[in-house]
Amino acid sequence: MSSAIVMTGLTKDYGANHGLFDLDLEVAEGEVFGFLGPNGAGKTTCIRLLMGVIHATAGGATIFGLDAVRDSVAVKRAVGYLPGELPQYGGMRGSEVVAYLGAMRGGIDRARVTEIAERLQLDLGRRFREYSRGNKQKLGLVLAFMHRPRLLILDEPTGGLDPLNQQTFHQMVGEVKAEGTTVFLSSHVLSEVEETCSRVGIIRDGRLVSDMTMDKVHELRFHEVVIEFAGDIPAATVRAAAGVEDVAVDGPRLTCTVHGGFDPLLSAIRGATVIDLISREPSLESIFLSYYSK
Amino acid sequence: MPPRLLLRLHRIGLIAMTYFAIFYVLVNSAAYPIIAGKTRLAQEAFGHSIAVLGAQFTWLLPAPIRPDTAAGYLQWRGYGLFAIVFSGWALFSACGAVRRDEDRGLVESWMSSGISRLRLLLTRIGFFAVLSVEVVTVAGVAAWLGCVIAGLPADVSGLVGESAALWALTIASFGVGLLVAQLAGDFRSAAGAGGVVLVAMFLLDSIGRSSLPRPWFTDISVYALFNQSNAAAPGGAFDLTATLLLLVVGVATLALAVAAFNRRDIGSGLLRGRQRGAGDVHEASRNPLLRIPVVRGIWIRRVGSLLWIIGVSGTAAAVVLLVNTTATFFATTPSLSPFLRGFGGDVRTILLALIWLSFAQALLAIYAITYVSRWSGEDSSGVLEMQLAEPLPRWRVLAERSAELTVMVAVISFISMAVILALAPSEGIPVDVGKLVVATAILIPFALTFAAAGALLAGWRPRAAVVTLSTVAAISYLVFELGPLFKWPSWADNLSVFQLYGTPLITPVFAGGLIAMICIVAVGFGSAGVVLARRDIAA
Repeated sequence: MSSAIVMTGLTKDYGANHGLFDLDLEVAEGEVFGFLGPNGAGKTTCIRLLMGVIHATAGGATIFGLDAVRDSVAVKRAVGYLPGELPQYGGMRGSEVVAYLGAMRGGIDRARVTEIAERLQLDLGRRFREYSRGNKQKLGLVLAFMHRPRLLILDEPTGGLDPLNQQTFHQMVGEVKAEGTTVFLSSHVLSEVEETCSRVGIIRDGRLVSDMTMDKVHELRFHEVVIEFAGDIPAATVRAAAGVEDVAVDGPRLTCTVHGGFDPLLSAIRGATVIDLISREPSLESIFLSYYSK
Repeated sequence: MPPRLLLRLHRIGLIAMTYFAIFYVLVNSAAYPIIAGKTRLAQEAFGHSIAVLGAQFTWLLPAPIRPDTAAGYLQWRGYGLFAIVFSGWALFSACGAVRRDEDRGLVESWMSSGISRLRLLLTRIGFFAVLSVEVVTVAGVAAWLGCVIAGLPADVSGLVGESAALWALTIASFGVGLLVAQLAGDFRSAAGAGGVVLVAMFLLDSIGRSSLPRPWFTDISVYALFNQSNAAAPGGAFDLTATLLLLVVGVATLALAVAAFNRRDIGSGLLRGRQRGAGDVHEASRNPLLRIPVVRGIWIRRVGSLLWIIGVSGTAAAVVLLVNTTATFFATTPSLSPFLRGFGGDVRTILLALIWLSFAQALLAIYAITYVSRWSGEDSSGVLEMQLAEPLPRWRVLAERSAELTVMVAVISFISMAVILALAPSEGIPVDVGKLVVATAILIPFALTFAAAGALLAGWRPRAAVVTLSTVAAISYLVFELGPLFKWPSWADNLSVFQLYGTPLITPVFAGGLIAMICIVAVGFGSAGVVLARRDIAA
């Protein structure tokens, strides 16, 4: 499978350790890649470098084999872009913003615009200044998706969207993925990435700290277990069990986290009288919080 | 709200008004002996001419009192104009304090931090009142200083009285603006509606000044109340009652504005239009104008562009209609009559050339600067980033911007020219059509000179572009206007960009200046293209 995006030693140094540093990353064609990280980690900087809006201090990026800066015009023919925040178009109506920017691209697929606007329930007849934050975001999504690009670069695409529209967005990503479109989206919401992406990169302080498939992400999963005992609590043997961590005792209850299989924990409590046992699978948020804190 | 923040919000108006007040008053008072002559006899002759001229301008300014003195001339030319300028400033400040900051979400943010509506508005009112005291005082001090420089000291108590009347008018206008801003839905509507109210009041006063006997209803205008005082002029008077009435108008409108602000929703006006009844639209606009490069930009800014066309062509019409009066004034003023003889030809044509083309240059330079301001704003607001997300090379964005400005400058200039050609015959002003076409055409590279420099600045330092360019334009204009008056050396005159234009309606085209302007345009836009290609957007 050929690469849609290749970043090699991509660096944007704003000084004082701000920016993006030595990023090597490849996104395959047809892949939905989630770029995760807390605010200020460098996600938007990376996206703006890919869009050729800012220039790299070192390294470079190619999109479909074309240089992101030198071949910027050709690159943008293939890209649909949603910035982190849409600019103010004041008194222009949504329909005019679409026609205006669409004309700069050389024309618009009117049927596609109508389809997306209807799905997102966006009234394009209203003036931009009358739009709520969510409606502005919907307009941004219309602008990004309307020309059926080969690559979608989306900076925090569900910001401001209500859960129903988030769901619609996830469906739209699924559909374009099925058509072979590559999607590169940044987010700090893991559930969104979990819903849509096949691979994630985690960025922190401008550096890529992890790049893994969603299957691998799921392998990081662990279970939070609460066991209620009738008699003595075998805390020592539980603590010694392989894959069992964060053991705490509170009255008749023992809580712990279990990584991997349950066999070592079950062996450790053999012989004790168990009244209740609850096992919960934490969210990806918790998994990554745990990952980040290491 | 901390004073520093308030100062930041009002800084542009404050700086612009302070500089304007200082320069305008200082120049008009200090230059009085140069314009009117140094001898008492010459000044009396000048005063007589001004009185005759002023009598024909009563629709615009009150009749002059003792224009044979620097203070009297200043009362007429300085404080007469200040009434319009200061009330306009107050109106825009009031609308900005409410609607613009509200449109930007600042009002909501301040209120969420625990500031009550009452306190918010009272703070803004109080701060503007202090600022306007500062500007009015600076104008008064500059007027006194200018008269001292002219060797014809003004009466200090008179200046104090006139300053008090001007401050009261400013506060009343601020009140009107603040009240209208509560009714309108956004800044533009508020400023537009407030402007209409002030223009209506100005026209009322204008009707009152031009009618005998003065109709009673014209006295309700704030301008009529202000014009009751003319204390800066020798023999003039300060009308305490009228000034107090102005303050009453100010306090009443401000109180109503506060009440309206407490009643209305943030983000919308007290008067709301009906919501669009039709169902949702899910289609892209079919407007063909949005598809044509250059035209799309003009269409998006059609309202502003139309106002500029009306404003500049209206100025052209006013200049044509005033040429004969001005020609008489020059002919009857001994100190000024030699000034026009040097040019040769019909005095009316010379005056049309000097006045209209000087106005046109200034207005088109300002127009070009408004474009530069927008280009800088598009960089920081993300509009440019969105444009560049489309498959457009950066140079094309620059080319489209400059082409749009070129088209608009050409449209404004040639429509104004058409107005002149239509009105000049009825005023008996001989105009060489060929020369007027050439003079109008040269206005295009002239305006583009500012735009090219601005495009380069906007690419290099977007935030500093407008301030730098405006300063250069203002200094250039002052040098251009004052150089001949104060007989500055030619090298000083040549520092002005305005000098490059020449006087193509009455002398041969200044080829050197034209070539210089074309070079500046080519180098400016070329360099701007290189800078834009290399730099980071919104960084």
